[in-house]
Amino acid sequence: MVRAYKMKGQKRKKKGERYDKGEEFEQLEENDMLQSPKKVKTDGSVLDKEEKLEPVFDEMPGIPVVPVDTGNKPGVIFILEKASLEIAKVGKTYQLLSSDEHANYLVKNKRNPADYRPDIAFQAIQTILDSRVNKIGRLKALYVRTQQGLLLDIKPHARMPRTYKRFSGLMVQLLQKLHITAAGKGEKLLRVIKNPVTQYLPINCRKIGFSHSSEKLVDMYNYVGTINNELDLVFVVGAMAHGKIDQDYVEDYISISEYPMSAAYCISIITTAVERKWKIL
Amino acid sequence: MAKKSSTESSRKKKSKNKIKNKLSVLNSEAKKVKGPKENPFESIWSRRKFDILGKKRKDDERRRIGLSRSIAIQKRQKTLLKEYKQSTKSSVFVDKRIGEQNDGLGEFEKAILRSQRERQLKLKKKDKFNLSDGEEDDFEIQEGGYFSGRDDFEDEEPLDEDEAGPSTGSEKKLNLEHPHEAEDGLESRSVEGGENRPKSKKEVMEDIIFKSKFFKAQKAKDKEENEQFIEQLDKDFTSLVQSQALLSLTQPSKMKALNALVNNRISNENAKKEDTDSLQNKLPLHQEKPDHYDKLVGEMALDMRARPSDRTKTPEELAQEEKERLEQLEEERQKRMFAADDSSNEEGNPSEDDDDESTKRIRHVSGDDLGDSFSQDATLKTKVGWIEEILKRENARKEDAAGSGESEEEDDDDEEDDDDGDDDEDADGSDEDHGEDEKAQSLKDWEQSDDENIETNLDEEEDEEEEEEEEDDDDEDDDGVDKQVDIIDHKKITKSGGKQNDSAGVDKIETTVKDELHQKGELPYTIEAPKTFEELNALLENRSDDQIVEAIRRIRTFNAISIAAENRKKMQVFYGVLLQYFAVSANKKPLNFKLLNMLVKPLMEMSSEIPYFAAICARQRLLRTRTQFCEDVKNTGKSCWPSLKTLFLLRLWSLIFPCSDFRHAVMTPAVLLMSEYLMRCPVVSGRDIAIGSFLCSMVLSISRQSQKFCPEAITFIQTMLMAALNNKQTCEDSQLYHLMELKTLRPLLHIQGRAEEIKSLDFLTLMDLPDDSPYFTSDTFRASILSAIIGNLKGFVTVYEGFKSFPEIFLPISKILHGLAEEDQIPDALKVEIKDVAQHITAKSEEHHLLRQPLRLRKQKIIKTAVPKFEENFVKGRDYDPDRERAERKKLRKRLKQEAKGAIRELRKDNYFLLEVKEKENVRMEEEKAEKYGKYRAFLQEQEHAFKSGQLGKGKGSKRRR
Repeated sequence: MVRAYKMKGQKRKKKGERYDKGEEFEQLEENDMLQSPKKVKTDGSVLDKEEKLEPVFDEMPGIPVVPVDTGNKPGVIFILEKASLEIAKVGKTYQLLSSDEHANYLVKNKRNPADYRPDIAFQAIQTILDSRVNKIGRLKALYVRTQQGLLLDIKPHARMPRTYKRFSGLMVQLLQKLHITAAGKGEKLLRVIKNPVTQYLPINCRKIGFSHSSEKLVDMYNYVGTINNELDLVFVVGAMAHGKIDQDYVEDYISISEYPMSAAYCISIITTAVERKWKIL
Repeated sequence: MAKKSSTESSRKKKSKNKIKNKLSVLNSEAKKVKGPKENPFESIWSRRKFDILGKKRKDDERRRIGLSRSIAIQKRQKTLLKEYKQSTKSSVFVDKRIGEQNDGLGEFEKAILRSQRERQLKLKKKDKFNLSDGEEDDFEIQEGGYFSGRDDFEDEEPLDEDEAGPSTGSEKKLNLEHPHEAEDGLESRSVEGGENRPKSKKEVMEDIIFKSKFFKAQKAKDKEENEQFIEQLDKDFTSLVQSQALLSLTQPSKMKALNALVNNRISNENAKKEDTDSLQNKLPLHQEKPDHYDKLVGEMALDMRARPSDRTKTPEELAQEEKERLEQLEEERQKRMFAADDSSNEEGNPSEDDDDESTKRIRHVSGDDLGDSFSQDATLKTKVGWIEEILKRENARKEDAAGSGESEEEDDDDEEDDDDGDDDEDADGSDEDHGEDEKAQSLKDWEQSDDENIETNLDEEEDEEEEEEEEDDDDEDDDGVDKQVDIIDHKKITKSGGKQNDSAGVDKIETTVKDELHQKGELPYTIEAPKTFEELNALLENRSDDQIVEAIRRIRTFNAISIAAENRKKMQVFYGVLLQYFAVSANKKPLNFKLLNMLVKPLMEMSSEIPYFAAICARQRLLRTRTQFCEDVKNTGKSCWPSLKTLFLLRLWSLIFPCSDFRHAVMTPAVLLMSEYLMRCPVVSGRDIAIGSFLCSMVLSISRQSQKFCPEAITFIQTMLMAALNNKQTCEDSQLYHLMELKTLRPLLHIQGRAEEIKSLDFLTLMDLPDDSPYFTSDTFRASILSAIIGNLKGFVTVYEGFKSFPEIFLPISKILHGLAEEDQIPDALKVEIKDVAQHITAKSEEHHLLRQPLRLRKQKIIKTAVPKFEENFVKGRDYDPDRERAERKKLRKRLKQEAKGAIRELRKDNYFLLEVKEKENVRMEEEKAEKYGKYRAFLQEQEHAFKSGQLGKGKGSKRRR
């Protein structure tokens, strides 16, 4: 087969460290020719260099070397299920539907206002991105599946807006434009991607779902401790007000408290357990 | 098409009986064909991928894909297919029958149209032969121009026109109506013409003239109206003035003026009516009077306006202001405390120095700085440098003096002038304190020299003072700095120990004791500032303490700097003398401690008035003391611990000058001197320990606020504590043993017997005791001095609590303390204290240890985050590019691309369509060919068969026969 015409164009420059491994993945799918063996080779050489650099520090006498995170360690992936992120044209503008702002509108359109709780997803996303797991760079990916079935991919290094108002503005744009780029450069921080989510998950991973209805009541720290250190962890948490998640791909449903909990708090328990396991301070 | 025709024919066969409706059937034929045979795909609407609640679908978004496809095919059949079919033809048959091209028309409508056209043509023909009147000529010409090429025979042309559309038909009707309108006359015609054609030049000119005339008339009318209105207003005003309403509102005098004004106007009007000669008479009056109103206006303008006065401040506000002022002062102090670590090269090039300072400052500016802290920087520089500047000048002056070739003596004198009493203090100290006559000058010697100086002094001092005047001018510029110094001093007074309290009480004493003064020999009320120490001595001899203070006060008030410029010189001299007096009286054997206390206050106040001079005096004295100390240290036999005078002076300066400054012209050398004492003086007797611990406490009080670390004091305390330990214990502690060796050869403070009590020691009495007094070896003294030392240690511990190196500094001491606590002889109260301190130290150092973190090669890196870019009110499709032009270009490019794509798509579909058609034709031709071939072949075969079977011709023949 002849090379794709696209190959002749400029190659994207490799700038520093890349946190968005997912994008590479995507590219592989889209045009498998683009990921030529050359590029793979350069990747390998960069890694080699890093490994070469490491021993130099080790050899320095008298200075304790704090372990530096390398990319090879297992990471965490969060999937928020059933997030109620839906936009509608209210009046002349598009808005993210929420129960307290659009109660009348929703009733008029024969929807149940109680189902529209984008603030849950907002809190959950904030908790995940604020966790130390993310700060140290071991949050591999964050996927959000909306009630409508749209799958959003949020890059771990995206700095999401801190206020709900700005968040809703961001979501409105994302759901219309289907991607949000970073300010200043063209990297896509948020995207709407194709279902199912399983195609983006790493092969070697443990998919854990959380449900209060589950029979398996465990202490989160102990539970995380039992999992093999080599495995990536995929946590599936529901970001809805009522109901439960029921996904086929989840291997294990657990309940981590006797009490029903908010998504954000549940996530904070998960992250703290993982941080303790990996000794992230 | 073939299908269609076949269905048509079949339909005809079926509906033979419904011939009546044939016409209508023909009309609706096209629709009905589509109706029953609807393609199920055509009914499918396009679907949105992401459905959004409340969003209306636009028409172009809402489409049936199947339907549009079939429509497109039909369209191609009508256009492309026809073109294709005609492409091989050289001539074209054009059907120009009316209504034949229009599919929407039925047979009946076509017939109607045709009959209409026929009638119209008839009408026109009739027109053609109608003879017109003259008026109609123009119109006729126009029409004629239009129909110029018309001919009887060209019947088809109007047909053509008809095809162009109904609009032309309506136009024609209009034209037909024209003749009636033409009768209305020229004007209407011109209007009509204006509508239909551009105006002629003449008409335009007419228009313009008419307009200008109209505007002129309008203007004249406006003017007239204005005049009328003004007259009306005048009338109203006069009536108003004469009425009482205005009177009540305005002042009477102004009212008068107003009245006059009105009268004047009336008279003016009269005057106008009168003859011209009378008018001339009135002219002068006329000129005087019209100013009334102007005057009135002028008066009004000049009326005093009430000035807003400053609001009286509430006590809260005053308190607030005071608080702010104090806060600002504290801030300044902090700033000076943490001054940048710059070099204070006194001899160095000033400009260079400044540069250094400025650069270093800039380096420490924080990231939040806006970068315009220039002004602040400048002020800081002056603040830090003001004393040093003086010193520099001083030095320069000295060098000048030396350079001018004056004798050494004079040079010496110079120096003496600078610090006035400095020499004699030292001399006094050596004289009276130790009672030894050494190389230091005796008091008398000094006095003589001073006498000599008096004359030269005056000259030189004047010079000096002049210079200082300049400096003072400088310092008046930054008055704020001085004030700060004052205030800080005052603060100190309140903060630090007992002496100050006394001095604060002095005021009260002064007032109460005035009576006493009168009894004892009256003081003159106006006292000239004494120029020498003798004068002062003479003045203050045999006076009571209160009288002395009162005398000083009077001198200060009489010669206050604020009264006269030359008083500054006087006060400077007097300050030097007073300082000398203070030093001398500190050395007197029966120590008048009360008097010393009282002297502190005026000294402090004066040094705040003349800060430069005070600083210079202090520095010179420090320099002397230091050189003396160095000499003494070399002499091993002599005790080199500071005298009481030095101690008092050090204390005084610590009160006068701000201790917390990062670098101070006086306090820094003073502290250094104290540390040197603590470090270098060997501890021989009990009194040495007392002096040392006093110095320690002084260092503590100085470093309390600035938290400067003074290792000498700590080491001293440590060695003293070690001196209290047993011999064998000290031997074990090898690390600090050398210190012991250096300072004390024996455990001076080791308590042998049981100490009965611990009492607070009186430092002055201790100083009075002889070196070898038995009290110093008593256990009571040891216990008390130990408790004093431990008190000091406690102070240091609390001061240095925040230091990172706290454990390293104090842990060895706590070890010694533990050792001490174990000893039997130490009284219980002291033991408790020792344990307390030791515990405090261990607790604190543990805390520090806990806070310490292992050294890291590099910090854990945080992932770099990126901010998503989004709009507040996002509207899909709008370009949020701030560069309008670029956005526009982008849009155009996008559209171009879209169009190009669309065109390509269309072309491709056309090709497909044509290909399909060709294919069909080919197939059809093939079929035909095959059919024909088969037909011929069958014929031939039949023939051959007949030929072979021998029936050729027979059959026919037989047929014919039959």
